Amino acid sequence: MSTYQSLSSEKLTVVLDIGSAFTRFGFTTDFAPRYIIRSEVRCKKTNKLRKICDYDSADDLYDMLVELIHIIYFKYALISPKDRPIVIVESLLCPTLFRETLAKVLFLQYEVSSILVLPSHLVALASLANDTGLVVDVGYKEAVVIPVCHGLPILQAWQALPLGGEHIHSHLKSLLSSSNTGIQNLPENFLEDIKVRCCFVTKSSRVEQLEGGKPEYAPPPDVVYPYAGTESILVTGKVREKTFEILYEEDNDHLCLSTMILDAILKVNMDLRQKLAENLVLIGGTVMTLGFKARLKEELQKQLNNDRYKVLNIHEFKFHTLPCKENYAAWLGGAIYGATEFLSMKAISKDFYLREKHLPDWINLKDINNTVSRTL
Amino acid sequence: MSYITGPEIVKYACTCGLLKPLPELYFCRHCSQIRCSFCLCHAVDSFFCGKCSENIPSAEARHKKNRCANCVICPSCQQELSTRVASKGPINPDDAKSAVKKSYYLSCHFCHWTSRDVGIPDQPSATGCWPERENVHINRLQEVLDVYQDIMLSQQQQKENSKKKRGKFVSYTDRTGVTASALRRRIGIPDIPHAKIKKPKPLDPAIAKSEVEELPEDIFTEPLKLMEITTIDQRLMQPESQPLTVDKLFPIHKQLTIKRSLRCRTCEHNVCKPEYNPTSVKFKIQLFAYYYIPEIRFVTVEPLRAGQTSELIIKFTNPTQHQTTITIFDLDLEEQEKYVEEQKLFDIIDNFEQAMSLEEKQQLSLPSLVMSSGSQPSSMYSLQSRQPSVIVKPRKINQAVNCNVAIPESTFILPPRDDAAEYDDSSDVHNIEDDPKLVKWRKSNKAFIKLAVTPAADLKIDDEVVCGFTMQHIYTNVIPAIVENMPHKYDHKVRVFFRLGKIVGSE
Amino acid sequence: MQRNNIKVIPGALVCEESKLRGDITIGAGTIIHPNASIIAEAGPIIIGENCLIEEQVKIIHRLPFDQQNKDTTPVLIIGSHNVFEVDCTVEAPKIGNHNVFESKCFVGNKVTVSNGCIIGAGCKVTEEQILKENICIFGSNCQMRECIDKPAVSTRKQLLLI
Repeated sequence: MSTYQSLSSEKLTVVLDIGSAFTRFGFTTDFAPRYIIRSEVRCKKTNKLRKICDYDSADDLYDMLVELIHIIYFKYALISPKDRPIVIVESLLCPTLFRETLAKVLFLQYEVSSILVLPSHLVALASLANDTGLVVDVGYKEAVVIPVCHGLPILQAWQALPLGGEHIHSHLKSLLSSSNTGIQNLPENFLEDIKVRCCFVTKSSRVEQLEGGKPEYAPPPDVVYPYAGTESILVTGKVREKTFEILYEEDNDHLCLSTMILDAILKVNMDLRQKLAENLVLIGGTVMTLGFKARLKEELQKQLNNDRYKVLNIHEFKFHTLPCKENYAAWLGGAIYGATEFLSMKAISKDFYLREKHLPDWINLKDINNTVSRTL
Repeated sequence: MSYITGPEIVKYACTCGLLKPLPELYFCRHCSQIRCSFCLCHAVDSFFCGKCSENIPSAEARHKKNRCANCVICPSCQQELSTRVASKGPINPDDAKSAVKKSYYLSCHFCHWTSRDVGIPDQPSATGCWPERENVHINRLQEVLDVYQDIMLSQQQQKENSKKKRGKFVSYTDRTGVTASALRRRIGIPDIPHAKIKKPKPLDPAIAKSEVEELPEDIFTEPLKLMEITTIDQRLMQPESQPLTVDKLFPIHKQLTIKRSLRCRTCEHNVCKPEYNPTSVKFKIQLFAYYYIPEIRFVTVEPLRAGQTSELIIKFTNPTQHQTTITIFDLDLEEQEKYVEEQKLFDIIDNFEQAMSLEEKQQLSLPSLVMSSGSQPSSMYSLQSRQPSVIVKPRKINQAVNCNVAIPESTFILPPRDDAAEYDDSSDVHNIEDDPKLVKWRKSNKAFIKLAVTPAADLKIDDEVVCGFTMQHIYTNVIPAIVENMPHKYDHKVRVFFRLGKIVGSE
Repeated sequence: MQRNNIKVIPGALVCEESKLRGDITIGAGTIIHPNASIIAEAGPIIIGENCLIEEQVKIIHRLPFDQQNKDTTPVLIIGSHNVFEVDCTVEAPKIGNHNVFESKCFVGNKVTVSNGCIIGAGCKVTEEQILKENICIFGSNCQMRECIDKPAVSTRKQLLLI
């Protein structure tokens, strides 16, 4: 083992998890990312910051990714990307255009020797040493639930809703503008800061009071948030409490965060349901909010009384406590996978990519047929 | 300075199709092509700390996680921290000899954060071993990682074993005689697994709990102290701990900076290589386009009106030590498109070949590298089993042109650059016969050129006017490895674009 | 225009080129650099001991708009050991002790400054508020943080000057 380890420390491998709001990057054998940076690049033409996920076209995305990866390698990682492997952690629901462009950037522009693509929901379980769990990823753009059973993501049970940081920010913005008439168009980083520092997920018992306008409801103290020295924003107690309610308000299809989880359980085999309910794993930046877990548990219990979920026959939910912060749980899984021989066994090499011109994907029938024929 | 940082009026087209101002471009002398940061291969050259300018060898940099051992930055505002002396009075005030005991603490000049804010005790030495935070989960994670590594190793072993068995003919001997495993199989003892590989020991999986962290009750009653809660940026600066309150912010070691070298992907030669010393701003190799391609500056243009001809004056400067002749041609974007298509076609053929015989190609490319870089010690690095580079595909020039340039019939000469001429007014006689219609005025290696431009007739007021042409200049190659003694001359073409300004109304 | 009534306590150092208007009292040990302007428009200004007022500083005693027609003339009291760095503009109605106003900062007339505060270089603070003790304002977005100590620079800087 010692020789192997010394070898691996010489060969630093970058692990990259490009999220819609934040990009986590670090090296294999580390247990925390070196940096968590915003997935933004400065646009050359307008000189404004642009989010990677707001791309217009494949070429536009290509240019932005070239810029982002350049920053990651030469400002933070400080190694040459050429002829080195790289580990990419991505959602199973990542758009094909995005992953193909990323592969193109890495192989053709930065000439990495191989790419190991890992599904974020699966690898998030790695740090728990557990092979079954219901992984709930609440990120910036969307919340995605995928059950993982015995090391296999159950894809037909996936659930996704556009509930995430972006949605919360826009909700907070509308709440704030009603109490602060003078201030319009708060920049998003201020909204984010207000969300992170002032807001929390309240208890479900208080929500009834809040909605019903009952007299016993006493709002939490207001916060005066100084905005750029010249103005201040009044963040009322009600706003602080209400911001995250959007996650649990059922939409027209009666869907919200808690029903997503139950629907996912409903879609898997009966034998696995109990086990999944007892292995809930929450990842993503939004789940780090104060009171998130407690409220989710309450909501799940409440939804169980719903006729739709009575068939589940579940009485208790159990949550895992990750040995890391939730916002880099998937990254950590990638770092653990990348530190093993898995990297040399399963990574897609440059030769393969140049021959096939695409990354293998679960959605691509050609790849599935290939693997089937190979295993046969 | 505004020429460098200001609005980009004159842009040159790189071989890859991107438009950039001249100071951002490079010129590969070996391929005689313009390159830019987009189509060059970047490589990390040397590490240094941006604050103390200390050079750090790469192995040490890796070990220190790319951070400077001495310099620390403020966890509150990410500026550099400075060490402050806090002198305590002498322990024994009567004894004059007892030295004043000095202790040190860190302080930020910008946001006035100090290491005392978070309760770090003052250190007795200036370099101070500032306390570091340990990841509390490290033991468990290491355990998990070890088990995973064992599992994967044993899986790999199994795979190899099954491969061995599948072979029709088992080679019982290798060069050293009968192999141990073959012998074992022959006499009927099962193959023992590799001695180094232990059976992966079972690991207890994490146990989920039904109790969860409850929301603290006092959140509904206690007023929020905004200044005690960290911002998201402060949290993400310390990804491992992500402290929620400011009293847990610890100083962070400063991130190192690098010097980069740039390499042409086509010929594997360096076009830019900095000096090793971090305090030196010089380069070992600096093939900037600014030193090889005539520089064009925009001087003046008559008010632009749609469909009417205006006079444009631009200045050409020859940066080289050799006389050059400049010819102006039509922009001809179609030709560039054709070139892009051609490269794509090449690419397909190339890939096909690559797939067929990649190893063969590698073998070929390596000796050829040695050949071409024989005289250049700097490219010795390239001998270390470098894979041949993938060439960035050129793209179409993405710039619409809405103004016609009348192409002059004659050419003009730019004399070589002469640094002494700056101080000598008398010797400014060149005996160059200029076309007075084209050359307005000239001095030493500079010439002011008159061109007639006609914005398209359908432009409206306040529309941006962009024109362009192809400049051909005579490039003199002076690399001794390529040409013996005789300077080798040939024509080099580059497309240049001008943002002339906006259409104004009629008189 | 009212008559200038300037009282300088012995020990203070006031440069002749400084611009002083109105009723101003300058405490002992206070240094006023040339081209600093102190304008007591709405009422008298009393500057405490050991203050340092650098070049192009503007200390203006101007009333908040809504309080202009009151009978009592308010007094702007500036405590001791305050440092006003080059080209800052301070219109605060009350200033405590041990404050630092860094270069080119702007403090509006609705901001009451207590003790030990630091207004960072270039920060513009106009929102009506009372700055608590040991508050530090810094950066382009005027971030605020609370220090544990009052700034310790003022005395040393003055010692260098004398």
